[in-house]
Amino acid sequence: MTPKPPKRATLPGYAQRLTGWILSRSALLLRRLSKGRVESATGVTVGAVWVLIAPLFFVCGVIDWLDGGPDAVALLISGLVIQLVGFFILRFSKFPSTLPLARLFTAFVSGALAALIAATIAHFATGVAPTIDVALAEASATVTGTNATTIEPETVSLGMMLFRSLGQWLAAAAMIVVLVRILPHLGVGGLDADGGVATRSARRLAPRSSSTMVRLLTLYMGLTILLAIAYFSAGMPFVDSVIHSLTTISSGGFSSHSGSIGAFDSPAIEWVAIVGMITAGTSLPLMFRALRRGDLHRFVRSIEFRTYIGLIITAVVAVLAWSDKWPTADNLRETFFWVTSAISTTGYVAGNLSLASYGSEALLLVLMVIGGMSASVAGGFKVMRFMVLGRYIGRELRRSIHPSAVEKIHLGKSSIGEVALARIIGELFLATMVILAMVLLFTADGLNFEAAFSFAISALSNVGFAFGLGGPNEHLQALGAVGHLSGALLMLIGRVSITPILVSLGGIGEPLQREVRRWRLTRHEKAVR
Amino acid sequence: MRVAGAGLLAVAFAMIVSAAVAVIDGGGAAAGLTAAALITASVGCALFFGSQVSSSTDSALAFASVAWSWLAVSLAGALPFLLTGVVSWAHFDDAIFESVSGFTCTGSTILSDFDSVPQGLLFYRSMTQWLGGMGLVVLAVAVLPALGIGGLDLIASEAPGPTADRLSLRVRDTARRLWLLYGAVTCIVAMLLFLVGMSVFDAVTHAFTTIATGGYSPRAESIAHFDSVAIELVIIAGMLYAGANFSVHWHALSQGIGAYRRVSEIRWYLTLIAGAFGLLLWVNNGELELFRNLRESLFYAVSLGSNTGFGSSNYVLWMPAAHLTLLVLMLVGGMSGSTAGGMKVLRLQVIFRYSFRELMRARHPNAVIPIRLGRTTIEEQIASKVVGFVLLYLGLIVAGGVVLSGLGVDPVTAFSGSVSALGNVGPALGEAGPTSNFLVFPRAGRLVLMAMMALGRLELFPAMLMLVASLRGLNRIQRQREGTKSP
Repeated sequence: MTPKPPKRATLPGYAQRLTGWILSRSALLLRRLSKGRVESATGVTVGAVWVLIAPLFFVCGVIDWLDGGPDAVALLISGLVIQLVGFFILRFSKFPSTLPLARLFTAFVSGALAALIAATIAHFATGVAPTIDVALAEASATVTGTNATTIEPETVSLGMMLFRSLGQWLAAAAMIVVLVRILPHLGVGGLDADGGVATRSARRLAPRSSSTMVRLLTLYMGLTILLAIAYFSAGMPFVDSVIHSLTTISSGGFSSHSGSIGAFDSPAIEWVAIVGMITAGTSLPLMFRALRRGDLHRFVRSIEFRTYIGLIITAVVAVLAWSDKWPTADNLRETFFWVTSAISTTGYVAGNLSLASYGSEALLLVLMVIGGMSASVAGGFKVMRFMVLGRYIGRELRRSIHPSAVEKIHLGKSSIGEVALARIIGELFLATMVILAMVLLFTADGLNFEAAFSFAISALSNVGFAFGLGGPNEHLQALGAVGHLSGALLMLIGRVSITPILVSLGGIGEPLQREVRRWRLTRHEKAVR
Repeated sequence: MRVAGAGLLAVAFAMIVSAAVAVIDGGGAAAGLTAAALITASVGCALFFGSQVSSSTDSALAFASVAWSWLAVSLAGALPFLLTGVVSWAHFDDAIFESVSGFTCTGSTILSDFDSVPQGLLFYRSMTQWLGGMGLVVLAVAVLPALGIGGLDLIASEAPGPTADRLSLRVRDTARRLWLLYGAVTCIVAMLLFLVGMSVFDAVTHAFTTIATGGYSPRAESIAHFDSVAIELVIIAGMLYAGANFSVHWHALSQGIGAYRRVSEIRWYLTLIAGAFGLLLWVNNGELELFRNLRESLFYAVSLGSNTGFGSSNYVLWMPAAHLTLLVLMLVGGMSGSTAGGMKVLRLQVIFRYSFRELMRARHPNAVIPIRLGRTTIEEQIASKVVGFVLLYLGLIVAGGVVLSGLGVDPVTAFSGSVSALGNVGPALGEAGPTSNFLVFPRAGRLVLMAMMALGRLELFPAMLMLVASLRGLNRIQRQREGTKSP
């Protein structure tokens, strides 16, 4: 097959160039700014995040001013402060010449924290959140793309509304950057090249990771615009369709109505949302390759995509079978909506689930845990990792019959290394422990058992809705300060995954750890003697 | 086959003993029990004497035979419930449920009206657990580790106990010692219970189910029926003992208490229970008065920590945070090499170390860090076996929970029931609490639970092996048949 000549004159081509230009400009800006004296990757990251996030404040502030909303001044001023502080930090730090892995972890986590702090400032300064813990929880929901909120969206000004949805959208875009640029170095099992089939193909999209990034981001933007048009033509007002397309494609889930998608009460809009959510849960590199070549067969060939769609269909059938209602078009749509909302970890709701049975609740929770495909912007543990775990169990079963068999784990055509496997498994166990601890905190803060458990799972997977209370989205409201803080932490853990957080925490405690180990070693030597 | 025959004979013996109890009590169950005993005994004899142990047994086949005989025993064990008319024939699956729950030392019951059940049958019920425990002790201490099931060969690494290196040679010897210990402890517990004020009948039945970590009680309210601190203390001690490794117990007896100190699993086991006790105390602080709180928290920490499942009150009324603690206890269960079920403390240790090693490796990607248990280092192969086991275990719990809630049980009851059944605990949370029974699950759901109990008891992998081995056997037969046909 001869390589196709690059198409420059098309719309996607221009879009790609535009994205590339923006990216290279901002990278250049950052590089020029960060010529300080202190060698600190963390400083550079925090500064960069703040410098880059400030325009978001300005844009939303100006829009709010045009709209005559009350939050314009607060947004502009806090944006300015963040901008200045960001510049200041950047001015005094520079990127270190050598970067140990542990520092990279710390930088990654502190970048996420910096975004969290900025969003918290916005929520607090505009008075959208009355107390600091609520502001933290709201900010965390924004940054991680979770639809958990205490706020009635109708009471929020347009600027702030836009801030929240754009925040979710930008955070997911940042996630794409992280996915391509940083995760391969971190080796957070299964999301990166070592563990993944999907991201390895992401790497092969283009020889240089920056051009891969540009392509994926262009695709992401294109999908957002397409979805906005689709929402609009399905009958949504213009502003709403923009906001919803931003939060659908980023699998965030914030809505401008307290009834979420259900508030429009329109089958067409719900179908658009369903398609959008499925797209959000699909691997971006896979989509890029399939769409560029016009080769839809690639979807069918991807084993993860098959499993993903298979899971959705199985879940829909099961939910319909467990409810004692006929599968009419309405019921089918509702089921599809909830299932895709759970598995893509978007967290839209459409009224109360009228087909709810105990079985469907349990199933939706399981889907939340599974989450979208790897290399997508969805949260959750990712379909592929579960496929790998399934293979692992199978191998151990076979090994118990043939104890000395040596077997590699294959997924599709590629085999998966033992190191990546161990990382995935470690991640799963740690996440389980975190969930248990958080459930304890939630129950101590007054939630009932079912609500606490489902909300913990939902928050860790960045979904948002949960069960066990009156409505699907009342959990954050029902919690106190402890619950808000632990909820915020849980969402953050879900987004950046547990290993980086614990490792960067360990960076603080490392000298201590060394002492402990030395002490244990001497004790052991004594015992041996 | 021969193993199955032996098992059936043992059960028949249990039935006869129970019939004797029934005669003494004067209840109407004697005839039914005797009839069941006769049927079982005849089938058992036929199997026992009609087959011979083949000289060449590979490990999978050996285990398959044990597993199948377990099933045979459970089926036969259901007969008395049917023949005495306690469970009607139309609900024969309930009888099997009760029997499986007995022989797997689970203690989930479907009996609701305990007063109408004849004493002989209640005695028999306890005895099923005791016999189940007896089989288990040998299984857990000698057979499973020798086969290296789910990484249980680890036991040998720390406690060089009476593990059988060669299955056929040493197992008999090991079994004899273990049974001696098991019987002696049962006698001691029974005597103590009698001394602190139970009737002979209650003392014996409770001793049976305590040492087997089963949890059947002939009283509907379980231990709460007696409402006595002394009885609770004796039972707590019994459960604590039974939830620990029997081979370590044997060593402690022969070499002194120091044997306990060498085993890190014991430390974890006790720490876990103590931690749960502390947590329960804290959570229940505002709810119960201090003494009551101390008593109930300790009782439940031990009862669920050893996967026995006796009840001294209704914990369903406790705070949700307490439920979580109890659920984690059920999940983890007792020590390996004991009659307790669950995931086992040993495996918890391994996965803890495993996950924290991954953290270290994320930081230092090229570091070679061994996984340690106490002072011994674990091989990678074994660690991955353990991990595979735990993954499968968690997966089955989730699958069971989803299926049960799909059958119309509320999620809390469904998932805790699934944890409880797979861990062979007995009571669950939600509607299936310690004062309730498992009739709250629909009929199909009870079948699922039954399958999970059997799977959990046979440590998952062997159960899979059992199917594989028998499939292989069937294949071989078919191949032979085809071989004879084709020429």
